[in-house]
Amino acid sequence: MDEWEEIEYKPIPVRTLLVEMKDLSELMIDLAYSSALFNNAELARDVLELERKVDNLALLLKMNVMIAARDAEDAKDLLGVSLVSSAADKISDAAADIAYLVLHGIGIHPAVREAFKRVEEQLGRFVVKRDSILSGKSLKELRLASRIGVDIIAIRRGNDWIIDPKGGDKILEGDILIARGAPSGIEELGRLAEGISRRLED
Amino acid sequence: MDEKHFQKIVDALVELKDTSELMLDLAYSSIILNSPELAREVQELEEHIDDLHTKFELLVLSSGFGPEESRDFLGLIRLGVVTEEIADAAAKMGEIVLRGLKPHPILRLAVEEAEETVTSAKVSEKSILNGKTIKEARIADETGMWILAIKRGKKWIRPKPTTRIKAGDILIASGYAEGEDDFKKLVSGRQS
Repeated sequence: MDEWEEIEYKPIPVRTLLVEMKDLSELMIDLAYSSALFNNAELARDVLELERKVDNLALLLKMNVMIAARDAEDAKDLLGVSLVSSAADKISDAAADIAYLVLHGIGIHPAVREAFKRVEEQLGRFVVKRDSILSGKSLKELRLASRIGVDIIAIRRGNDWIIDPKGGDKILEGDILIARGAPSGIEELGRLAEGISRRLED
Repeated sequence: MDEKHFQKIVDALVELKDTSELMLDLAYSSIILNSPELAREVQELEEHIDDLHTKFELLVLSSGFGPEESRDFLGLIRLGVVTEEIADAAAKMGEIVLRGLKPHPILRLAVEEAEETVTSAKVSEKSILNGKTIKEARIADETGMWILAIKRGKKWIRPKPTTRIKAGDILIASGYAEGEDDFKKLVSGRQS
């Protein structure tokens, strides 16, 4: 049974909420497909957690939109915002549906999965260990894209998610990295995060 | 089940997934550009994806699987349903522009990445892009803009590195505003 979080009004700019909903919902689609195609339960659990986050954001956004509308004109202007927010919510629900499949063992036929691996890019999910040379460095310093051909699309830190991290964002011990790239690069990132490999050169 | 049938299922699922994601990109772009034309494309793709979805389901159901495989095939059917849900969400967003709601500044700022813009241009016969694949064309290196979608006649294509650009294609691209001019020159084949 789900535990329901009590919802409390917070004055957060509608734009901030909408950007976060849009970014999270798009990340969720990627994570969800990946979890299904590579039969990865951890990614599926991430998706379900993000879905709860998006649900809460949707409610906060609704409240803030209601407060922002002073008259009929405002209401009409804000309708578009509200429609995009419901769309993002719907997308996140769709991603969660995929995650349920994975967690309930309703898999994708293994042969189809094999065939899919040839056409789809793989996502990797790695915990940064204490010994990892990634720990304490910014993405700009690491230049992972040019060195090993992977792109960090999200960093999970406890319950917080940094979506599309920028060059200045630092990787810390215990972070979970979600990365996209060629299989060889993804494997290499895994070794670096684990601390098995400590070489990162041009 | 034979290899060929598998490949057909995979191809159909990839097309469903690509189409639904293309619809999302186009729906967001329709809001940024306040473009009823793009929004209408999203609605047309919505009908197209319904057909694709039916074909996909028939393909999966005609795989001749035994009871012990039914869970695996259920997973495929459900994935198809999800692409349809994403397509519906995109179509709903497309409605914003079609219903004449002018995109609120908050919305444009939120949908548009900080300094990014969306633009479109038609590939001319003399453009150096004509006949090149997306990978060969190196449009991102040249202009800082990347291709979101290609319109060829009535068909929308979600670009892959191997997709070949042809004269007459309309390229929808996104990127930093500074690159827009270079992009239009490259696509139209205009000198300077």
